[in-house]
Amino acid sequence: MTEFRTVGKSEIKIDVKAKVTGRAVYAADINLPGTLHAKIVRCYEHAHAKVKSLDLSEAAKIPGVVKVFAPEDLTTKFYNQSVIDIMVSEDMRGMLGDIEDQKILTDHVKHYGDGIAAIVATTEEAAERAAERIKVEYEPLPVYLNATESSQDGAVQFTPQKPRNMAFELPEPAFPNNTLGWGDADEGFKEADIIVEDNFYTSKQKQAQMEPNSYIALYDDDGLLSCWTSTQMPKSVQPKIAKLFNLPMSRVRIIQTVVGGGFGARLGMVLEPHICALAMALPGHPIKVQSPREEDWLTSPSRHPGDYWMKMGFKKDGTPVACDAKFVNYKGGYYLDGSGVAFTTGGWVSGLYKFGALRYKGESYFTNQPVCGAYRGYGNPQTNFVLEQLVDRACHELKIDPVEWRKKWHKDVGDDGWCAGVPYASCALDEVLDEGAKAIDWKAKREKYAQQTGVKRRGVGVAVMVHTSGAMPMLLEHTVCTVRLNEDATAVVAFACSDMGQGSHTTLRQIAAETLGFPLEDVSLSVGDSNDAGYDIGAHASRTLYVGGGAVMAACKDALKQLLERAATMLEANPDDLEIEDKQIFVKGSPDRKVAASEICSGGVYPFLNPQTGAPDTIPGQILGYSSFNPMHNSPPFGACFVELEVDTETGEIKLIEMVNGHDIGRAINPAVVEGQLEGGAQQGLGMALTEELYFSTDGKVLNNTFTDYKMLGPSDMPKITNVIIENPDPHGPFGAKSVGEAGLVAPVGATANAIYNAIGIQITDLPITPEKILKALNEKHAA
Amino acid sequence: MKKHSISLQVNGAVHEITIQPNKTLLDVLRDELNMPETKYGCGTGECGACTVLVDDQKVINSCLTLAATMDGKSITTAAGLQTAEGTLHPVQEAFVENAAVQCGYCTPGMVLKSVGLLKKNPNPSEDEIREWLEGNICRCTGYEKIVTAVQLAGKKIAQADG
Ligand code: FES
Ligand code: FES
Repeated sequence: MTEFRTVGKSEIKIDVKAKVTGRAVYAADINLPGTLHAKIVRCYEHAHAKVKSLDLSEAAKIPGVVKVFAPEDLTTKFYNQSVIDIMVSEDMRGMLGDIEDQKILTDHVKHYGDGIAAIVATTEEAAERAAERIKVEYEPLPVYLNATESSQDGAVQFTPQKPRNMAFELPEPAFPNNTLGWGDADEGFKEADIIVEDNFYTSKQKQAQMEPNSYIALYDDDGLLSCWTSTQMPKSVQPKIAKLFNLPMSRVRIIQTVVGGGFGARLGMVLEPHICALAMALPGHPIKVQSPREEDWLTSPSRHPGDYWMKMGFKKDGTPVACDAKFVNYKGGYYLDGSGVAFTTGGWVSGLYKFGALRYKGESYFTNQPVCGAYRGYGNPQTNFVLEQLVDRACHELKIDPVEWRKKWHKDVGDDGWCAGVPYASCALDEVLDEGAKAIDWKAKREKYAQQTGVKRRGVGVAVMVHTSGAMPMLLEHTVCTVRLNEDATAVVAFACSDMGQGSHTTLRQIAAETLGFPLEDVSLSVGDSNDAGYDIGAHASRTLYVGGGAVMAACKDALKQLLERAATMLEANPDDLEIEDKQIFVKGSPDRKVAASEICSGGVYPFLNPQTGAPDTIPGQILGYSSFNPMHNSPPFGACFVELEVDTETGEIKLIEMVNGHDIGRAINPAVVEGQLEGGAQQGLGMALTEELYFSTDGKVLNNTFTDYKMLGPSDMPKITNVIIENPDPHGPFGAKSVGEAGLVAPVGATANAIYNAIGIQITDLPITPEKILKALNEKHAA
Repeated sequence: MKKHSISLQVNGAVHEITIQPNKTLLDVLRDELNMPETKYGCGTGECGACTVLVDDQKVINSCLTLAATMDGKSITTAAGLQTAEGTLHPVQEAFVENAAVQCGYCTPGMVLKSVGLLKKNPNPSEDEIREWLEGNICRCTGYEKIVTAVQLAGKKIAQADG
C-alpha cells in the first residue's frame, strides 16, 4: 500500500502504554477531594411490586450517612435512558410511539433490581450499612417473563401509554399492515417447491464489559453540573441530562473517562441520571458511585431476547420466492429503544438475500426483566441465528451447497440495502466467501463429515451477514470536527467520538494525518470533554470510523485548503498546482518554489507588524479547519464466518475447533484494529451461540448475575482463528473504509448453529445451544 | 473493629499502614495507597482484573486476599513492572506491539498473570498459556492477541537473558 503514509498500517494504539501500566484513568479511579459515596438501594425481593411503604428513618441514623432519598426526594420527571428520541425528528418520534417511562427511583418495581431509594454517605461502608436498615413493604404483583404473559387480558399495565403492554409494533402508515418488506409473500409461497419454517428463541445476552459502572458528579458553586462517566455517548448524554434537570446545556459538562468496554451497554445513559440528581441535591460535594459487578446485569441494558418465527419458500433450483417472519421481543420493564431493535431485526432480513417477496413483523412487549437496549449487532445476531439456519435447512433439502447458494442469492451492488432506498455501493461477499471457504477447506470437510457414525462428530458451518456503517437514513448522522494548526505546523484534532477500546481514536488520527499529509506524531487529539468539541452522536451502529472518519477528513481537507491557499499567495501560484511533501509546500514540477508549512502557520499565529508599513509581513490568523458532517450513505460491510466444531453425542458437549472470519472491510485503516474487532466479536458471537443467557426463577429473580454463573467463553474455549480481510474500497467511506465493530459478532452465531447441524443433522432452535439441549434433541431423534 | 498494623512493600516502596481486618488487598491498594492501576472487576475472584504479583513469584486475586495476611510481603502492580525511567516490562512491551489491548480494563491483570506464568514456565505452549489465563476475563479481544503476546514476551525474555 505504497500510496498511503499511515493508512493501512497497524500503528500502535494511542493509549496502549497507559493501559499496560494501569495508568489509564477510568471513572472509578478518580478521587476528588471531599467525595461522598452513593448507593442505589434496589429491590431484590420481587420482580414486580408496588412499594406500599418506605421507611428510611433508621438508615438516616447510621453514622456517616449524609442523606437518604425516597423517590419523591429526587426529580420524579419521566425520562428514557436511551437516545433514539434525540436521533429522530419529532414527527418520527410521534409515529414510532417512543415514550419516557423511567424515573430515577420508583415505587412501581418492574424488574429484579429496580431502584427504590438512594443513600449518600461519607464512606461506601456507611452507605451499605444504611441500606440494610431501610424498611420496605411491598405489594407483590404478577410477574410476566414473556410477551404472551404480559399481553394477556387483565395483565397489570406497565404504563398507561401502552395498552396490552405492547411497547411497539411497526407503525402504519409507514409500514402498511404493520409490516416491512416487498412483494406479496402469500403469492410467493404458491410458487414454492419446498417450505422451511420454524419457531426460535433468541437469548438475553449481556455485554458484560469488564469495567463495572462507576460515576462521579459534582454540582459546583457556579451552577455547573459535571459528570465523569464511561458513557459511549457523551454528547447525547449532555442534552438528555440538561432536559431532565431543566438546565441549559451550558451548565452541563460530561467528561468521558477511559471507557472499559461498552458494546452497547453504555449507549445513552445508565446511572448518569441518578448520580447527577444526587449531586444536585447536595451541591458542592462530588458524589461517586461504584456499582457492584452483579448489578451490571440488572441495571444496564442487555440484548433483546424474544420469539422469532420464520418461514421461507424455495423453488427446486434454490430460488428464494418468499420469506415471512415475525420477531416478538421481550423489552424488560422499560421502553428504552423499543422501536429500534423491533425494526432493525427485520432490516437485517431485508438486506441480505434477494427474496421474491418479504413480509416482516416486529413487536416489543414489556416484561418483568431487566431492560433491553443496544447490544453489538442490534438485532442482527438474532436474525443471523434464525435466517441462516433455515437457509441451510433448505440447502440440505435441495441438495445445494450452502456456500454456493449464498453466493448466488445474496444482495449485491445496486440492490436495496437494509433500509429501502439506499442501495449497496460496494460488496465483496463473493470474494470473502471464496477465500473463507479455501481457508477452512470447506469442500473437503463437508464431504468428510457427511458420513460420520462415531460418538464424536465434526461439523463445519457457514453464515453470512450484512451490517451497516452508521445509522442513516433511519437515525440522525452527524459528527463535528475541528482541526487547529499550531505555529509549528502540527495539528490538534478535536471531536467527541468515543473510543471504547475498539481503537477509533487511533484510526481517526491516522485518517487525520493521512489527509493533512502530516506525520502521525504531528497530530494530537482533543477528546473526552463535552465542552471541548462539537456534536457527535456517540458510538453506536458501527459509525465511529465511518462517520467520524468522514468528519475528520472533511475538517482536515478544510485546514489543508487554507494552508495551500496561503502558500499559493506567497508563491504566486495557483492552489491547485501545489503539493505537500514532508510539510513543504511546493509548486508541482518546480521543487525550488516552495514554502514550509510551519512558516505559514507561524506567520498566522504571530503576524508581527512591520514598523515601516504598519501592516503584518505574514498572512494573519491561526488556521482552523472545520466540518459539520452528515454522511450521505451507510456503506454496509458484508461478512462470512466459517466454524468447525466437534459434538460429543454422549455428553452433548461442543468443542470449537477452528473458525474463519471473513470480512468485507472496504479498506483496513489499521489492520490490527480490524482483526481485534473480528476476534473480540467472535468471542461474543460464539458465546451467544453456545453459553450466554440470563436465567430467571419463575418469580423473576435473576439467577446468574455473576461471572461464574453467566458463562462466557474463556481463552481455552476459543477455537483457532483465521481472519480473512478483503479490501475492496467503498466509494463513500473514508479512504474506502466500511465498518467492522458490531459485525464481528454476527455471523459466528449462525455459523456455529450450522456447524452443529452439519455434525449431527439437528437444528437447535433455542439459544444458547447447551449440551442439555443437544442431548435432548439427539434422544428425540433416536426415539422418532 | 480492631485495626491491624502491617508493613506492605508495593513496587519497592514500604508502607507502614493501619487497616481494618476486613479490608482486602485490592481495597488497600486502591483506596488507602491511592494506586488505582489494580482494577475492580467483580470483587469475588471470578475475573482476574485485580491480579497482582506477590514476592515476585506468585499471582493472586487481590480482591480475595485480606490485606492483613500480606504483612511483610512485596507486591508488584502493573505500574511497578515499568522502570522509573519508563522502560516497559517485556510482557507489557509485547502487549503493546501485538495490539493485545482494547478497552484495557483487563490489561493490568492480564499482564501480571502472564508475568506469573513466564516466571514458572519461560517457554509455555499455546495450550498452556490459554489454560493459565483461564480466570482472567477479557471481553474485548477474544484472547487471540493476548495469547500471541505472551508467546512473544517469552521470546523477548529469553533473548534478554540469552
Ligand atoms: S476483581 Fe478480583 S477477580 Fe474480579
Ligand atoms: S481489553 Fe477490554 S476487557 Fe480486555
